[in-house]
Amino acid sequence: MTGPNTGRRAFLSAAAGAASVGLAGCSGLFETRSTRAPPLVENRPDAVYVPSHVEGMQMAGTGTAGPYRVALSYSYPHRFWLVTGTDVQRVDIESDDTVHLMVTVWDAETGVVLPTSSVSVEVTKDGETAFDRPPWPMLSQNMGVHLGDNAALPGDGAYTATVDVDPLGTRATGDFAGRFDDAATAEVDFEFSQSTLEQVPFRMLDDRKGERGAVDPMAMEMVPSSRLPAADELPGRLLGDAESGDGRFVATALPAPPAGVDGSGAYLAVSARTPHNRYPLPFMGVSGRVVRAGDTAFDGPLAGTLDPDLGYHYGATVESIDSGDVLGLEFGAPPQVARHEGYETAFLDLPPASIEVG
Amino acid sequence: MNRLPSPALSRRGFVKAAVALGGASALSACLAREAPDLPTGPEDLSSLPDRQHAWNAALPTDAHGNDVAPRHRVVLLLDYARDGAPTDADRETTETALRSLERAYPRSHDDEVGLLFTVGYSPAYFERFDEALPGSVDLQEPRALAPFEEPKLDRPDATVHLASDYGSVVLAAEAALLGERDELNGRPADASLDGVFELAERRTGFVGTGLPADHQDVAGIPDSKPVADDAPLFMGFKSGFRKNQASEERVTIQDGPFAGGTTQQLSLLRLHLEQWYDQDSRHHRVATMFCPAHADEGLVEGTGENLGDASLMEERGCPMHTERDARESGVVGHSQKSARAREDGSPVILRRDFDSTDGEEASLHFLSLQRGVGDFVATREAMNGTDLAGGAVGQRQNNGILQYVTVERRGNYLVPPRRLRSLPPARPA
Repeated sequence: MTGPNTGRRAFLSAAAGAASVGLAGCSGLFETRSTRAPPLVENRPDAVYVPSHVEGMQMAGTGTAGPYRVALSYSYPHRFWLVTGTDVQRVDIESDDTVHLMVTVWDAETGVVLPTSSVSVEVTKDGETAFDRPPWPMLSQNMGVHLGDNAALPGDGAYTATVDVDPLGTRATGDFAGRFDDAATAEVDFEFSQSTLEQVPFRMLDDRKGERGAVDPMAMEMVPSSRLPAADELPGRLLGDAESGDGRFVATALPAPPAGVDGSGAYLAVSARTPHNRYPLPFMGVSGRVVRAGDTAFDGPLAGTLDPDLGYHYGATVESIDSGDVLGLEFGAPPQVARHEGYETAFLDLPPASIEVG
Repeated sequence: MNRLPSPALSRRGFVKAAVALGGASALSACLAREAPDLPTGPEDLSSLPDRQHAWNAALPTDAHGNDVAPRHRVVLLLDYARDGAPTDADRETTETALRSLERAYPRSHDDEVGLLFTVGYSPAYFERFDEALPGSVDLQEPRALAPFEEPKLDRPDATVHLASDYGSVVLAAEAALLGERDELNGRPADASLDGVFELAERRTGFVGTGLPADHQDVAGIPDSKPVADDAPLFMGFKSGFRKNQASEERVTIQDGPFAGGTTQQLSLLRLHLEQWYDQDSRHHRVATMFCPAHADEGLVEGTGENLGDASLMEERGCPMHTERDARESGVVGHSQKSARAREDGSPVILRRDFDSTDGEEASLHFLSLQRGVGDFVATREAMNGTDLAGGAVGQRQNNGILQYVTVERRGNYLVPPRRLRSLPPARPA
């Protein structure tokens, strides 16, 4: 382990040198670092809000692992928030962090981005390990669903990332049934240089920060978007929608459950998504109750499920769902997904919601 | 073997480093540091228990009545040097070497462990016999026990687990077994395993207050030196509470020729604690190690010493609320899940695990004893919590401590009763 540590220190002392140059010339690393962690917006709403700044990303490379495609990208190190239950923990930038490392995983065949929490990444340079851990599943306003963590890469050079994707662990339906049951590994070779990182766009949002709203999804070459279909493009019969905790919940009913779901009758799917950008809200506890003329026709948990047409959703088989029924939604754990700035105050307190089926 | 730890290390640090290095020079340096004042063991061995794993009576207990694990360990993985059935001469040599250890060191002395050890044999060893093990023994081939693990499977013939509160004692016992020294604690070594067995691998480690903090400068633990000085294990919490451990009786094989024996599973688990210490909250650490109720109610102080002799699982309804917690709290605890595998509230495995810095990586040698390997498999399945994943709780994320642990190796062994510990047949008369 002395290798990476030595390298890290060596890089930091090089950075310190660059900083003093930066002070004299009003550019360079010192200024970059200080301005790239701007203060948090004051009086953040308990809702999705426009963050203090927006940054782009640099694609490092892509690889294939079994049925999965993976993309490795990076941006500036930044703060993010972890969620355990309703406990929210801010993770600050560590002094030796050089990048925010990101992995996006999608189904090679359909391009559907997989919300998964079970990916491990080892990054090596010259045979020495520089990063070895499972990055956090995350939600970002311009990147959508991905996995990420801050990392200390020891300087410019050639790196190899080994990305281990575990079996999905989420119920998969339709053509996805059985597709993500095995672990797979991808290797991505990439070059990293500080000067390339410095070219990643970074823009302050001083005139909009703190407003309710979100920055637009980023157009990414080679990487599909994790946006869910618009409500009227979901398959099945649209039942209606509701809001809770600034999340949007669109309910639809398929005439029969998709492959991979036992039982007969109709299939109730609730698509939980962010406002503005329609990213999935994964890893929640959701229960549904169908009330028909005062009687309970269904009452039970809705299982987190990944379907090629519905995308990530919460679903269950119900006997039937008719006009005039009331679908009540109750939320247990809020989305257990780490948040980039602008999402950390939303989707935490989720009161029950209901949808009258038209 | 010729690189000695720096003398600037604290005594406990120096000794642990010496155990990891092994070899004669490490032993002599370690002896000089520790200067153990131990009498020899008994010449008459007839009072020793027939159960090799009957260690508890020799262990000191803490203020809460918990058994305190021996601080220094070496596990040897050995291959029998001969093909086919063992010879009586090899049995005799093995038994003489083992008795020599027993005569050299007391099992305990002045509330400290002198030397305790067990010898076990793998399924691969028993393949050499025409007859299979009797049905009264549940010894299974090791295998992956979760969809997200890909362990290498250990298949040595035999294993010796050496334990002492003195690093110099485990090192000396190891050296005597390997034929590298002919004297132990002032007593001649009567025989060694040299020529009978070949050393396939050695694993070393430690457990107990202070040792993890002294050895946290390894891969898997962040540079911030986060492991508390009073932590008995790298993850910062106490384990081995009396009520979380199966009794020696519960893990003992009851019937058949191996009655009085047990089974041992030994896994090598790599620890990745950067996020655990540098990013996660204390709330998260307590919720995932113990139970969400423990985090919400602040039940765990420091390393959990305040919990006494139980981690308060049944008392707080943790096992029965596991599914509800997964859905409502979005997090489930390691102890909470594991407690689901209990029988009438009592655990079915006896943990004798220890931390390690082998290969300069933070790891845990998870060594457990159970009547049959199936008891371990059931406990591990409960701990996997695969049934809880897919909603708010992920396969590993917020699912106990799975996110911080990678299973590198697994192996299973039969630890026969003492009377059969030297190259036993599959079907003893």
